[in-house]
Amino acid sequence: MTVRRSRFRMEGVVTGAVLGGVLVFLLAPVVVVMLASLDGGDPVAGRAFLNFPPSSLSLQWYFGIQPRLFHALWNSLLVACFAAGVGTVIGVPAALGLVRGNLPGKTLLVALFRAPLQIPVIVVGVAFLQTYYLLGNAFGIRITGSFIALAVGHLFVATPFVIGSVGSVLSRFDTSLEEAALSLGASRWRTFRRVTLPIIMPGIHAGALFAFLVSFGDVPISLFLASPQYTTLPLEIFHSMEFDFDAAVLAISTLIVFAFLVILWLIQKSVGLDALLRSGGSG
Amino acid sequence: MNARWNLVLLPSAAVTLVLLFGTQFVFLRAGFYEDLGLGLIGDTLRIDNYVAAFRDSFYLGALWLTIYLSAIVVACSLLLAYPAAYAIARMRSKWAMLVLAAIVVSSFVTVVIKVLGLIIIFGADGPINSLLNALGITDSPVRIVGTLAGVVIGLMHYVLGFLVLLLFSVIRTIPRSLEEAAQIHGASRWRTMWRVVIPLSLPGIVNGSLIVFNLSMGAFVSASLLGAGRVLTLPVVIERTIVLQTEYGMGSTLSAILLGSVLIINVVSVLLVRRMRAARLVVA
Repeated sequence: MTVRRSRFRMEGVVTGAVLGGVLVFLLAPVVVVMLASLDGGDPVAGRAFLNFPPSSLSLQWYFGIQPRLFHALWNSLLVACFAAGVGTVIGVPAALGLVRGNLPGKTLLVALFRAPLQIPVIVVGVAFLQTYYLLGNAFGIRITGSFIALAVGHLFVATPFVIGSVGSVLSRFDTSLEEAALSLGASRWRTFRRVTLPIIMPGIHAGALFAFLVSFGDVPISLFLASPQYTTLPLEIFHSMEFDFDAAVLAISTLIVFAFLVILWLIQKSVGLDALLRSGGSG
Repeated sequence: MNARWNLVLLPSAAVTLVLLFGTQFVFLRAGFYEDLGLGLIGDTLRIDNYVAAFRDSFYLGALWLTIYLSAIVVACSLLLAYPAAYAIARMRSKWAMLVLAAIVVSSFVTVVIKVLGLIIIFGADGPINSLLNALGITDSPVRIVGTLAGVVIGLMHYVLGFLVLLLFSVIRTIPRSLEEAAQIHGASRWRTMWRVVIPLSLPGIVNGSLIVFNLSMGAFVSASLLGAGRVLTLPVVIERTIVLQTEYGMGSTLSAILLGSVLIINVVSVLLVRRMRAARLVVA
């Protein structure tokens, strides 16, 4: 018995150590960005990028955030809200139909709705770019580089997350609750609003949040669909890292991570993070 | 009752259908137009781009490199994610919730921000090189950014969280009593792992591997920034072809080749697993 117990611990130590390593690996870059943003060295271009840990602390980079970056952040937020909002309007009925309906060829439909996730994201960007060019050249509809052009591209990859999240809640749904409401005289619409909707709400929240985050963090699609006049924050950070490093991106990145943590904390306070985790992760 | 739900589905299906087939058709067709330079394309459909892509060792090399790196990322990620997911699944639920929350947070933080952190960590004056230097292991800084290893690390960072979450959701469904039963019958812990837990989670492993593979094949930000112009995977080449060289035709051709490779590899893997299952080589 003692031998078995010690072996049991040994295995626990190994898997626990791997888990610890994985957590450090996953979280370290975020922590490093936050610490590096406090660097107090001379504001020479490209220097703070290489200076870690910071030798002295200061908030200088936070005051050096260009209006251009805030403008890009605002664009990112608008596009992500569009992708999450419209994605929910498209995704929730789709999930209801997929789980509840009896259309022939349902597996094909499931595949259709999942298809945007199977296509490499960069290919999605190229495909939308070519489509907008064609619309402009052949039909005179010039939307390349506009808000709607970018937002529809994001919507395309964000919607499957809503469908996955709501679908996984729906497939565990106890339909006897609805039958009870119906047999007690509630109309179909009332049953949907008062029984179905509240139960699938955590799934909708989680799906909309995932959709928002997928859109907000995107670079490969924005790369092709954004224009110098209409750009997103991740794209600005990407270009800054590729060409001409501006340490202010460390500062604005830190602000975003903080905003992200606050949002998650609010979710934890209102619906509970575990509800979100249980319904999500299937995207 | 069912018919109603079918009606509800139709508008969403129509939108998705139009967006999916519309854009895919247009870009696949664009791959057959010749580039005339300065962003202009010809007006006749030709197969020249595909011939050029498959003749040019640069493009073929990029495709091969992308597949090779993605396969390494799958293997390394599984090796780390599986024990981690197992540890979470067998943890007290309160702690497990906290660990899962940390992984979700890190997975959904904007990718560029995480890559920015990785580049600082692996930079010439970064913490890793400072540590190696202080310990006297190296004299001059080890270069990681701009190497294959750097790109693999970047891609792993991109996919690892998702893989842990997915494997956790599968391992969680395996009752602990099965492991206990195996041990009561004299199986060692490792044998229990190999013969009970891993076979039962095989569908999750296969599914997770394919998702990680697909994500790695299409990954642009990690490959581009950690490759630093020295590691040219196909997504990076596609971006350069379209944005820098303004060869829209060739860029579309390469995108189609990337898409085709991903689809073929997925279908072949699924068929292989199905055949292995039929031959009872794996339990699932």
